[in-house]
Amino acid sequence: MTKSFFIDTTLCTACRGCQVACKQWQGLPAEKTVNKGSYENPPDLSGNTYKVVRMSEKERNGKLKWFFFPEQCRHCIEAPCLETAEDSSAIYKDKTGAIIFTKKTKDLVADDIISACPYNVPRVAKNGILTKCNMCVDRVHNGLKPACVKTCPTGAMQFGDRSTIVSKANKSLAKLKRKSSKAQLIDQKDLNVIYLVEDNPKYYFKNAIASYKYEGITRQMAIRKIFRPLTNIIKAVERIG
Amino acid sequence: MDITRRKFIQVTAGTTAGLAVSNLGFNFEEAKAYSKNLKTKFAKETTTICCYCAVGCGAIVHTSKKTGRAINIEGDPDHVINRGSLCPKGAAIKQLSENKNRLTEPMYRAPYSNKWKKVSWDWALSEIAKRVKKTRDKSFEKKNSKGQIVNRTTRIASVGSAALDNEECWTYQALMRSLGLVYIEHQARI
Repeated sequence: MTKSFFIDTTLCTACRGCQVACKQWQGLPAEKTVNKGSYENPPDLSGNTYKVVRMSEKERNGKLKWFFFPEQCRHCIEAPCLETAEDSSAIYKDKTGAIIFTKKTKDLVADDIISACPYNVPRVAKNGILTKCNMCVDRVHNGLKPACVKTCPTGAMQFGDRSTIVSKANKSLAKLKRKSSKAQLIDQKDLNVIYLVEDNPKYYFKNAIASYKYEGITRQMAIRKIFRPLTNIIKAVERIG
Repeated sequence: MDITRRKFIQVTAGTTAGLAVSNLGFNFEEAKAYSKNLKTKFAKETTTICCYCAVGCGAIVHTSKKTGRAINIEGDPDHVINRGSLCPKGAAIKQLSENKNRLTEPMYRAPYSNKWKKVSWDWALSEIAKRVKKTRDKSFEKKNSKGQIVNRTTRIASVGSAALDNEECWTYQALMRSLGLVYIEHQARI
C-alpha cells in the first residue's frame, strides 16, 4: 500500500521537532552551525541531515510574513533519481512508495542523481554514499509512523495511506482557499509528500516546487547512460588493478 | 592505471556473466531486508516524563537489553498531555544519558581563572553552602526603610526547576523562604 505524507505548512510553528526526531531515530550526529540571521539551522540538507525546516521572511500586503517549510525528500511517484540510476540495488522503490537509497549508491555518479532531483534533495555523505530521507521504512513496515510525523506537536505533519491522505489534503485545501485564494497543494499528483501552502511556494523556499517538470532523461544524461557500461568496466578494472 | 587486454577480458566476461544471471530473475530482496527489523524490537520499554518545561510530556525510553543503555526515546502515544508528540528539546532527551560530551562530575572555575577543574561533590556542595550563607548574612535586612519587619535578602535569586512536583516544590520553597529569598522563579517564565 502506497503511503503519503501531508504537511500543512499553515500549522507549522517551525519548532524543528521533526528535525531533531529524525536525527534521533536515524542516529545522525549534530552539525556545526552558524548564525545566518535566521533561526534556520543546520545550513542545508547533508549526509547527516535529512530534514531541515526552512524559514523565510517576506513582505505581503505591507505586513511581515514568516513562511515555514519543513523540507525533506518528496518520495516522487515517478522518481527521476531512480530512473537515472537504473540500478535497483542502489535506488529502489519500496512497497510503501518510499524511494530508498542503499549503500550501493556510492557506485553511482552522484552529480547525475543530485541534478536529476527536481527538488535538490540527495546529498553525498562522507563515505561517498548518497543519502536522503528514507521515510523511516523500518518504522513504517512495523506499523509505526515516521519519526518526524510522530513527534510533530501541532499536527502539521500527517502520514497514512495515500488515498486517505489525499482526501485529507483536499479538504484542508478547500478550507484554506476560503481564506487565501493562492492556497495550493504543491505538485500533489507527482509526490507522496504533499505540502499545503497558502501563498506562492517560491516564497517559502526556492526548491519548494519542482525546478522543472520531469519528462524523462535529458540529452546529457542519455549520453552518459550510453557510455555507462564502458565507464563501469573501466572502474571495475581499476578496482582489480 | 593501464588497462591490459587480459584484464579487460576478465572484467567484460564477468559483466556478461552477471548480466546473464540478472536476466534469470535474480533479485535483491536480501539487500532490502535491512529495513524490516525495528532497532527497538527487543528493547525494554520504560515510560518517563520529559524533564524540561512545566508541560510534562510523556515519553517512552527504549533500553537495549544487551548494553543496558538507552537506544531511543520517543513520545508516549498513550500519554494524555502530548499523545506521542515531542518538541525539539523533548525529542533530544536521549542525549541526557547518551552523549560523550555531557559532564559527569562537578566542575569549578575559580574567579579570574580561565580553566575549569574537576572537584568532588562534597567540596562543591559545602562551598555552595558557605557562599550562600556568607551572601545571605551580609545582605540580610530585618526591617525595610519604613521600619516594617521584612526578614529578607534581595541579593540571592532562585531560578529553575519547572519540572518539580508539588511536594518537591514545597520543600524547595520552604528552604528558600527560610533563607529569606524573595526572588523565586522557574525557567518556563523566563
